[in-house]
Amino acid sequence: MKKGIARRAVAATLALGVGIALAGCSGGGAGAGGNAVPGEDYTGPKVSITFWNGWTGGAAPVLVPKLVEKFNSEHDNIEVKNVPQEWGDISKKMPLAVKAGKGPDVAVAHGDDVATYAAQGLLLPADDIVDALGYSADDFPEGLMDAGAYKGAQYGIPWSVTPMGLYVNNDVLKSAGIDPATVPTDKDGYMKALEALKAAGISGEWVDGYVFTGTFEFESLLWQFGGDLYNDDVTEATFNSDAGVQALTHMVDLIDKGYSPPNVAQDGNIKGLLAGQTAYNWNGVWQTTNESFNEIDWTVAPVPQIGTEQAVWSSSTHWMFMNNKGQDKNKTAAAATFVKWMNENSAGWAETGELPAANDVRNDPTLVETYPNLKPFIDSLPYAHYETSAPGITAANALITTALNEAVTGKKEPKEALDDAAKQANEILKQNAAKYGD
Amino acid sequence: MQPSTVTNLATRLPSSRRPRAARTGAARRPRAARTGAARHTGTAYLFLAPFLALFTVFVVAPSIFGLWISVTDWSPFKDTQNFIGLQNYIDLFTPGSITFGDFWQSMGATGIFTVLSVPCLLIIPLFIAILLNNNIRGGTAFRAIFFAPYVLGVAVIGVIWKYLLDTQSGMLNHILGMLGLPSDIPWTVDVPWAWVSLVIVTVWWTLGFNAVILLAGLKAINPDLYEAASLDGAGMIRKFWSVTLPGLRPVMLFVSTTTILESANMFGQSYILTKGGPANSTRTAIMYISDQGLSQNNMAPAAAMSYILFAFLAVISVINFRLQREKTE
Repeated sequence: MKKGIARRAVAATLALGVGIALAGCSGGGAGAGGNAVPGEDYTGPKVSITFWNGWTGGAAPVLVPKLVEKFNSEHDNIEVKNVPQEWGDISKKMPLAVKAGKGPDVAVAHGDDVATYAAQGLLLPADDIVDALGYSADDFPEGLMDAGAYKGAQYGIPWSVTPMGLYVNNDVLKSAGIDPATVPTDKDGYMKALEALKAAGISGEWVDGYVFTGTFEFESLLWQFGGDLYNDDVTEATFNSDAGVQALTHMVDLIDKGYSPPNVAQDGNIKGLLAGQTAYNWNGVWQTTNESFNEIDWTVAPVPQIGTEQAVWSSSTHWMFMNNKGQDKNKTAAAATFVKWMNENSAGWAETGELPAANDVRNDPTLVETYPNLKPFIDSLPYAHYETSAPGITAANALITTALNEAVTGKKEPKEALDDAAKQANEILKQNAAKYGD
Repeated sequence: MQPSTVTNLATRLPSSRRPRAARTGAARRPRAARTGAARHTGTAYLFLAPFLALFTVFVVAPSIFGLWISVTDWSPFKDTQNFIGLQNYIDLFTPGSITFGDFWQSMGATGIFTVLSVPCLLIIPLFIAILLNNNIRGGTAFRAIFFAPYVLGVAVIGVIWKYLLDTQSGMLNHILGMLGLPSDIPWTVDVPWAWVSLVIVTVWWTLGFNAVILLAGLKAINPDLYEAASLDGAGMIRKFWSVTLPGLRPVMLFVSTTTILESANMFGQSYILTKGGPANSTRTAIMYISDQGLSQNNMAPAAAMSYILFAFLAVISVINFRLQREKTE
């Protein structure tokens, strides 16, 4: 079966353009040189492939080169060149680099970038390698395969998920006479704890107006109140719904009622938590590898349910195969071999503070035994929401942060800020539709 | 910083060579035939060639390409690009268009920053240069200290200052609190403080460069002039206005021009310290252009914006040149 698919892929590639038509990326103009990613292991002559990723912080810069070195030593005919750089730089460089034939052969991107790349014809459809790996949507948290799909073809192979959690400084709680053993899970419990902290002169949660991590908190709350960022076909912003207003009002209220100081700078809250100035911080799973936590008594729990349902924000990363101008098929095949190998060896990935996307890897009991701090994050995945996947969506998402920033700095009322942002986001969605084609 | 260093060399070389070039020119002109002049020009171009080659490849060619992009609906993922005339420019001047509000807000932010930072970046370095010119003990050490921040990248200084300027746990607010002053100033979070921070950080970061150039200018002023002024009974202040400042004019022209251009091209400080906030009020033109062109792939409008910014800067530079040249003559 697997071989049949692979052979079909080769045939499709040879029958110029058929593969492209199947992938349905004619709208993005994937270019005539496009071919599908094969599922078989690469056996051809020695090639050197380039691998772009944004893993520049935490444990990843140590772990990735080790994995790459191990892969290279096990494969005589493949040499992987690891090129880490900032995530933001990758998305800026990628379109031009790939169009010029100077892009990587394989790369990792966040879920909200995959569709943008796919619409631009920068990616090769990866359905065959997904089949070769034996992956189906059920092997990942719900909705994750979709984040890497565009127009019926799979372009991204899920690699990791990074949900939010509630980080707690136990010493601060103790100083306010609160028992740190029970972490609040609902609004009542959370507000009660914040009230007790306030009585002890401590601002319990510091609300910031930046992407890291105010925007993630706002989006979590929006989903908790039953809202969503965009409508189903992502033609209209819906983050200014009642749910959005309730979510943002909750955050602004924390400041207005003295549970949070005003004017928290970016990362000010995590610094405050580590410095023992505040008790709670909504932050991503990646903070579990922050070595400064060794200095304090802390726990981490799923974020409390403030709204009417359980929900939490999560990002994800995906493997992608690049459709460089004049892309060498051997290199793509070698890249596919590399990705398969990495997926088979992904158990150690938790060391980087990211959860392996594959359910069977992540749910292996030894993972939680080795990294107990990841348990609350794994527990919250059933109700995690991933970033919206649509071409050019990050430009519209940026306006959510603008609205949040305006509201928490008191420039606008929550509803006004969200309405203004939604109006502009709708313009950008329209522009995206024109730019990337429907 | 790169372009400024190149301009610096380019501008400084001719000025320091000027006396000799003028002398040889004057000496030769009577007997130099036209062929000699041509050979002279040829040699000059030969010497210019390495720089000209780089300049053409990395500045002129991209500029022309950018001009072309700005009159098309250019997109990095389309095979054919359509000529659409001045539509991108017209959109930028049409209130209510998708880019109008944000673009002019970012131009305004750039304007505010330039107006606030340029005077500080001229006066403070001049003051420091004059102090350093006094042959004080450890002058070289001080010169190195003032220049030191300039060698750091914007990412480094940005991160350092982000720690110092944090509203709640920053060292600056902590010190202010110990002195009994307000200790909750939102240095990077709200205006006007965000502007104050951006200017302070930029001045701290780049004043060393201007100070060193001005110091070199000061050293080039003939000491006899000061002596003559003293004999005429001029005091410290009179000497500053009548000898130092006029003597510095060619250097000042260079320093003020590059400082204006650099301030108008500010990007990293806002990008790291304030994230363009609150809302988008400290998002500079370059930040917005880079976001539009590189992150959102709206290359064509972004190219048009760059040319509008360029037009503004060209006009300002010409005015600056005129003003200072007239003073010299």
